[in-house]
Amino acid sequence: MEKHTQIILAGAGFVALFVALLFWGPNPELLLLVALFAPLVGSLFSGLLYGARPKAMIAAIVPTVLLFVSLIASLLLLFYIMGGRDPVQVTLFDWINAGNFNLAFGFVVDPISVVMMSVVTVVSALVHWYSIGYMAEDEGFNRFFAYLSAFVFSMMVLVMSDNFLGLFIGWEGVGLCSYLLIGFWYQKRFASWAANEAFIMNRVADLAMLIGIFLIFWQVGSLRYEDVFASIGAVNQDALFWAAVLLFIGAMGKSAQFPLHTWLANAMEGPTPVSALIHAATMVTAGVYLVVRANELYAAVWEVSYFIACLGAFVAFFAASMALVNRDMKRIIAYSTLSQLGYMFVAAGLGYYWVALFHLMTHAFFKALLFLGAGNVMHAMHDELDIKKMGGLYKVMKPTAIMMMIASVALAGIYPLAGFFSKDKILEVAFGDGFMIIWAVLLVTAMMTAFYSFRLVMLVFFGEKQYPKHFPNLHPHEAPTFMLFAMAPLAVLAVIAGFFEGAYRNLVSAMMPVGLPDLGSMHYALIALTLGLVIASIAFAVFKYSRGGFDPKHEQSFIYRFLANEWYIPALYKKAIIEPYTKLSAFAWQKLDLRVVDFTVDLIARSIYGAGEKSRVMHTGSLSYMLRWIVAGLLILLILAVIGLFVVKGA
Amino acid sequence: MDYILSFLIFFPLVAALLGLLVTRESIRTYALTVTGVQFLVSLLLWLNFDAANPGMQFVQQIPVVESLGISYFVGVDGFSLWLVILSTFMTLIAVMGLSETRNLKNLIAAILVLETTMVGVFVALDAILFYLFWEFSLVPMLYIIGAWGSGRRIYAAVKFFIYTFAGSLLLLLGMLFMAWFYYQSTGMWSFSILDWHLLQLPFNLQLWLFVAMGIGFAVKVPMFPFHTWLPYAHGMAPTVGSVLLAAVLLKMGTYGFVRFSLPMFPDASVYFMIPIGIIAVIMVIYTAMVAFAQKDIKQVIAYSSISHMGVIVLGTFALNAEGIAGSVFFMLSHGIISGALFMLVGMLYDRRHTKLMSEFGGVAKTMPIYAGIFLFMVMASAGLPLTMGFIGEFLSLLGYYKVSPIMALLAGTSIVLGAIYLLHLFRQTFYGPITVEANKSLRDLMPKEIVALVPLIAVVVWLGVYPKPVLGSIDTSAKNLVNLMYTKAVLPESREKLYDLNTYELQGVR
Repeated sequence: MEKHTQIILAGAGFVALFVALLFWGPNPELLLLVALFAPLVGSLFSGLLYGARPKAMIAAIVPTVLLFVSLIASLLLLFYIMGGRDPVQVTLFDWINAGNFNLAFGFVVDPISVVMMSVVTVVSALVHWYSIGYMAEDEGFNRFFAYLSAFVFSMMVLVMSDNFLGLFIGWEGVGLCSYLLIGFWYQKRFASWAANEAFIMNRVADLAMLIGIFLIFWQVGSLRYEDVFASIGAVNQDALFWAAVLLFIGAMGKSAQFPLHTWLANAMEGPTPVSALIHAATMVTAGVYLVVRANELYAAVWEVSYFIACLGAFVAFFAASMALVNRDMKRIIAYSTLSQLGYMFVAAGLGYYWVALFHLMTHAFFKALLFLGAGNVMHAMHDELDIKKMGGLYKVMKPTAIMMMIASVALAGIYPLAGFFSKDKILEVAFGDGFMIIWAVLLVTAMMTAFYSFRLVMLVFFGEKQYPKHFPNLHPHEAPTFMLFAMAPLAVLAVIAGFFEGAYRNLVSAMMPVGLPDLGSMHYALIALTLGLVIASIAFAVFKYSRGGFDPKHEQSFIYRFLANEWYIPALYKKAIIEPYTKLSAFAWQKLDLRVVDFTVDLIARSIYGAGEKSRVMHTGSLSYMLRWIVAGLLILLILAVIGLFVVKGA
Repeated sequence: MDYILSFLIFFPLVAALLGLLVTRESIRTYALTVTGVQFLVSLLLWLNFDAANPGMQFVQQIPVVESLGISYFVGVDGFSLWLVILSTFMTLIAVMGLSETRNLKNLIAAILVLETTMVGVFVALDAILFYLFWEFSLVPMLYIIGAWGSGRRIYAAVKFFIYTFAGSLLLLLGMLFMAWFYYQSTGMWSFSILDWHLLQLPFNLQLWLFVAMGIGFAVKVPMFPFHTWLPYAHGMAPTVGSVLLAAVLLKMGTYGFVRFSLPMFPDASVYFMIPIGIIAVIMVIYTAMVAFAQKDIKQVIAYSSISHMGVIVLGTFALNAEGIAGSVFFMLSHGIISGALFMLVGMLYDRRHTKLMSEFGGVAKTMPIYAGIFLFMVMASAGLPLTMGFIGEFLSLLGYYKVSPIMALLAGTSIVLGAIYLLHLFRQTFYGPITVEANKSLRDLMPKEIVALVPLIAVVVWLGVYPKPVLGSIDTSAKNLVNLMYTKAVLPESREKLYDLNTYELQGVR
């Protein structure tokens, strides 16, 4: 069969490339370029050659293989940098040169970017693989892979650039791909609406970021990280403050921090692999990456950092509260993502950048796993998302259920899974540095996290079967083994990633402080307290939902409706921003532009025309009458000439 | 090479006259050949241009009225070189994409005459010559809108003509006064723009002349509140008219600021930096909102043009090399991108004979290639990095940030508001289910149309990734202009301001 030949050919090519990479391994510049450009080649291949053609397996295989190539290159670079060698730098060519502004396309692989590259390529490669199965029946198959690989390329540009504007290229690029993928099923009206919302809301934040970039340039005269961080000492405190604030507003958009968060839940309109890759593991963490990357700047402006930590704690709680009552499986996971991003910002805001980046990494693995599991459930349920209509799916889809439970336990932060090592550390540093309110909020949030995660697991996989009532003809089935295999590495990482802590800490110690507060004997007490409360929350969820859940009458309570309506914020935005803007625009056009500005123009034209009509009476044809006008005209001209002369002399 | 500019001016004019002798059947081939040759010759100009030389090149001067210092005087520098190439390029593309069949010979003749005037405006170094081309460019456009337009085309054409003509009269007055003042101070008459560049004017006089000439340019740009002729002209004009109007004719206004106002009146330029910035900010925000309210696809693009021209004006009045180079580059990118968008709208109009968004929806399904190219241009117009649209917008705003961070922020809302109306337009037209029966059988792009669009896409990507070949010579001229302004400013505070605008904080520290 043709399909198989293609797969075999692709496999052979993959092996050849792998060998070639190993052979050239010692050349890190080449590895950098391969890691960066392989996804672009894959995207162009599918997009340009197959974009408008019918579905073709090759359009998925080539980008996927190239993604694995990028993954291998990234991992080789990771080992290279872990060997304690200097960062790898490559400058391609000049980009913009005008006046004092000089910038080239420059890329750097240092401890921070290599961690990001590894996380991005691991998750992307697996999601590509998974999508071959997930999108198999979709008309837009080829287009999907073109967008997905384009996203990875943009993300790589974002994390590998050695300057703020290069980061901004990737920043806008991931925004574009996110727009395309949220609105992938463009016939759905809400999908295209959500896509627009995501793009526009991100643009608001991007504007702040752009202004921050302007500020940095006019202060330092360069946008390269190296130059900027080296001159932090020479820049005045006000400028540092504003640079930190403006860059953080940019980060708030991409990482969907309050009040720019509403797009993330609506972004769930996109295909689920997209949610896993873009809206959980990679793009939304770009904001955290930015703060970590600019850690020298944020360390210099304590008040901004403290604000970041407070906002992060609030968002962690705020998002978790909405996840508690939501019935839409993907939205629950999306709010969970938002909540975890809040945790990361707390760590970064408190100055523990390494903990933030570590949580970013472990979170990417288990959250992507959770989303891919949700994708399997959606396939089984024919795209139904309401968890109240599921139930009892464990019997038919055991591997998915087990992997989602692993992810949920990891998310809840239970030893020895990945989340324990990264998330508990955030609680520790908040406690250890004496930020008790932040610590308390995060502790409560951790309990909520455990609760909603297991509420979801219980309602979907256990308890009474609900779906026969709603969909009598539905016979759920497990996803193909092929797709489960794509998830397995993530499940393994969700279990073991925590044990990379030592090596990771060692790696990034060159770029940022890697200390922890000394808690002494309190350390174990704190862990015991957190673990105890989290396990109790899980037990409560399991207990409650194995017995049919809460009484539906709670759904009438104010607090339930408040949370279910997402704190009424989307409704507020609609009333306070979208509608007034639409009305004001219509007013500007129909009332101002047509009735005032243009009317004035026409009025002047009409009055001149009218004056002509009126003054026609002068032309009577009588010579003496006209002579009088000539004299009058001459007089007026003379007076004007004299006045003019005086004016000129005066000037 | 000495006569190359004269060739570029007069070749289309002669070709237009000869074209009247060509048979109807072969007129399209004829037009393609002429505009193709014209474009190739303009590329020759680029090949022989010395990017490191900030002065005028390919200069040719023939005295006409010696006693008054009027001459046929042409030449190009880093600014005008690219505007000339933009003119020849967009004319070629417009002819390639031409779908009009009515009275084709006359239309082609009008386009070629228009090309002559466009090139003429950008290469003229004599004020009278400049003014002649400037005014004469109205005639073929009047004819194109009036004869091939739709709807209230006569109203639109006359409004376009009278409005811009009235604005130009002030420009002429300013020029005559300038020449007279030149005579007063030097004892010689001269209309040479280069001579005028060297003349120092007292501050008060600068203010008056700046305003007089500025209004002439402002109407052409068009700047708020002189912009209302533009939506009518675009709305009623045929596709080829809109393409050339948006791509090239509007640039004459902003070019005027760069060629006349800045170097001749440096102190007045510093004085008016903030007021003009305010007008530009109003232009950006106000017309972006009006664009969002439009129901007609073409009107959205028309208003978006005004909004983007606001950023161009802002960049020019940043008065630093970054902003000026950025604004000139933005003129080019806006020319290509808005030209492409008008062409794309025209292609849809050819198929459905309507431009109302409500008549469409779900077109991405039936015309995927068209939708892809449209989205590409929309994103370029929204200033996505690595497209040509980003660089000009970025540098213009970067430049003006140095003047006023707050106003750069306000004008920067262009990237948000632009995304709002462009994505709204795209969603209404291309996304959602197909609701109108006629859209189910729309034909995707034909080879002829793709051939016209591909060069535009290629340029937008090429100059978005590697703008240096173009930006390099623009930058040289921008630095030269800033130096000229600095040396000839009469007020110490203007000099200080200009110095300040062109340096960054740590330059002395590091």
